[in-house]
Amino acid sequence: MSQTPSMRPVKGRLSEVVENLVDGSSEGRSKRVVEGRAPWRLAWARLRRDRVSMVSLGFIVFLILVAIFAPALTALIGHGPNTEYTNTGLSLSGIPVGPGHSGFILGTDDQGRDVLSRVIYGSRISLEVGVGSTGIALLIGVTIGLVAGFYGGLVDNVLARFMDVLLSFPVLLFALAIVARFGPSLGLVLVVVATFSWPYIGRLVRGQVISLREREFVEASRALGSSDLRIMFVEIVPNLVALAVIYATLLIPINIVLEATLSYLGLGVQPPTASWGNMIAEAQNGDLFTIAWWFLVFPCVALVLTTLAFNLLGDGLRDALDPRQGRTQLAPAKRASKRAPTPAAIEALP
Amino acid sequence: MIRFVARRLVYLVIVLVIITFLTYVVFFLGNPKNLADRFAGRDAGPAAIRDATIRLGLNHGFWYQYWHYLTGLLHGSFGLDYQNQTPINSEIARAFPVTASLVFGAVILWLLIGIPIGIMSATHPRTLRDRAGTTFALTFLSMPNFVLGLMFLLVFYYYLTRAGLHWFPAAGYVAITQSPIQWAVHLILPWLTLALVQAAIYTRLIRSSVLEILGEDYIRTARAKGLSRRTILYKHAVRAALTPVITQLGVDIGTLLAGAFVTEHVFGLTGLGQLGLNAIFNSDLPVVAAVVVLAAAFIVVMNTVVDIVYGFLDPRVRLA
Repeated sequence: MSQTPSMRPVKGRLSEVVENLVDGSSEGRSKRVVEGRAPWRLAWARLRRDRVSMVSLGFIVFLILVAIFAPALTALIGHGPNTEYTNTGLSLSGIPVGPGHSGFILGTDDQGRDVLSRVIYGSRISLEVGVGSTGIALLIGVTIGLVAGFYGGLVDNVLARFMDVLLSFPVLLFALAIVARFGPSLGLVLVVVATFSWPYIGRLVRGQVISLREREFVEASRALGSSDLRIMFVEIVPNLVALAVIYATLLIPINIVLEATLSYLGLGVQPPTASWGNMIAEAQNGDLFTIAWWFLVFPCVALVLTTLAFNLLGDGLRDALDPRQGRTQLAPAKRASKRAPTPAAIEALP
Repeated sequence: MIRFVARRLVYLVIVLVIITFLTYVVFFLGNPKNLADRFAGRDAGPAAIRDATIRLGLNHGFWYQYWHYLTGLLHGSFGLDYQNQTPINSEIARAFPVTASLVFGAVILWLLIGIPIGIMSATHPRTLRDRAGTTFALTFLSMPNFVLGLMFLLVFYYYLTRAGLHWFPAAGYVAITQSPIQWAVHLILPWLTLALVQAAIYTRLIRSSVLEILGEDYIRTARAKGLSRRTILYKHAVRAALTPVITQLGVDIGTLLAGAFVTEHVFGLTGLGQLGLNAIFNSDLPVVAAVVVLAAAFIVVMNTVVDIVYGFLDPRVRLA
């Protein structure tokens, strides 16, 4: 061998290169083979076959579009989210107008505001907090989990304990106390939600990294002289993407609900800015919602549909990205038959 | 075993110190000057504010106050609240039975709902029954507590009452010692609210756990021995599948005993959650700290109990 692979700039995972060395096949050919079974394309194909996931994905895309084009949509409807239409939106005795009446598609609330416009603007808050805080949580969680799992020892001990402590926090209570002391604002809610959600990701990533760092491809990379940073980010991180995608998708609805709960308790996004949580709280405050159910029910429906869509998509992603687990759940007998009986099982035979 | 419990106790103390410290930091980073103004009464003069400052101990520095609080805790006292200067211990003693009634009723209900549906789903995978079970689970899993509670109030209280059926009261709590029937009647809607959301989690847990175990070799062995389906399912599979349920149950009871904030808020139950919530709105620092301490203690203690019980259920687990 005139040129060892380690001296060439290597594209792709080192483990594949090492496999090629063993097989003796050329790099070009192996690349084609790897492309042929690209795991992401396979996962996407599996996901596309899952009708529930695709409907959920469609709903989420629709929701994102609604949130982005909220000003245009409300202009189209002709009712601003915070304008009180006391003449057209309330009856003479001050009762909100029902769905479909006088141009209010979902009716009006107790102050004569258009419920549809407010639900549309509320989607912005939910998505901003849900996606934003999950993004921050992902960044912190993956970094800390990676460092803890990779280095082990004292570093791991300190970081893992720290995550344990954060996970024993009465989250909602503490979040409420912080928001109450510093004054509610969207930014603070986002930071608080992220602060308490990253340890979930951190713990998962740590566990995964602990098993990954013992694998052959990491050993190979180290033998080729890679630095710790290179091993972490080039070798290990790509193996964490699937896990991160699944749990981020499942964390988003949890964070959306946390924001809605804070807003519902009056310590999140403040009125008149519409968020689904504070719309529900405002509806509950008066007794009018018992006659005019729509301004309580529609924000609830929006909230539940959104969290449901993210949960369904998260489940679908888990099945698509981790097919082994999916098969275990669907056809347990098949999996068992492939495994050799354990000594205990043989002993148990009569 | 003793070493394990001792280590957990040390851990509990550390967690409590960290959590109370952070609670104090959060409050003092806020605006401590306002506190005296707030509790001095309306239109208080400088003298009244000075009195309030001394009464609440705010004239001392941060470290002194925090130390004072910790030593109080060591003596088993949460101190006096800012609002009425009543002992917090007695407020907690009043609130705890409400939360405990809510949680334990809900636990029984959610196990009764969640476990059978989960088993049904797992034993009939990919059938209509399974699909119904999973749909049930995902729907309630996606439902925030307060949404479900409000829907129950709207339908079962307002609409039924308007229809002339006074079946469910809207809010309030009646002690079980006073009238067990009224106690249950007042708690049915809150129980359902908590239980349905939790049952969804347990349905999923049981389903995946039973499915996994049904694929184990020893189940095949049991089948080969000619055991009946019932025996295999209930004696071998379900019993083993309950282990993760117990873990989850411990964590959930710990978390909820600390205050089922949202459910208590929706139904106006004056439990620990509501106590903490009101204290937060009133900036009543000692009460907030007390609820935070209790909450963290419940969570850590329940986790320890779970670890111990786990060791009994699954002898492979050694307590290190």
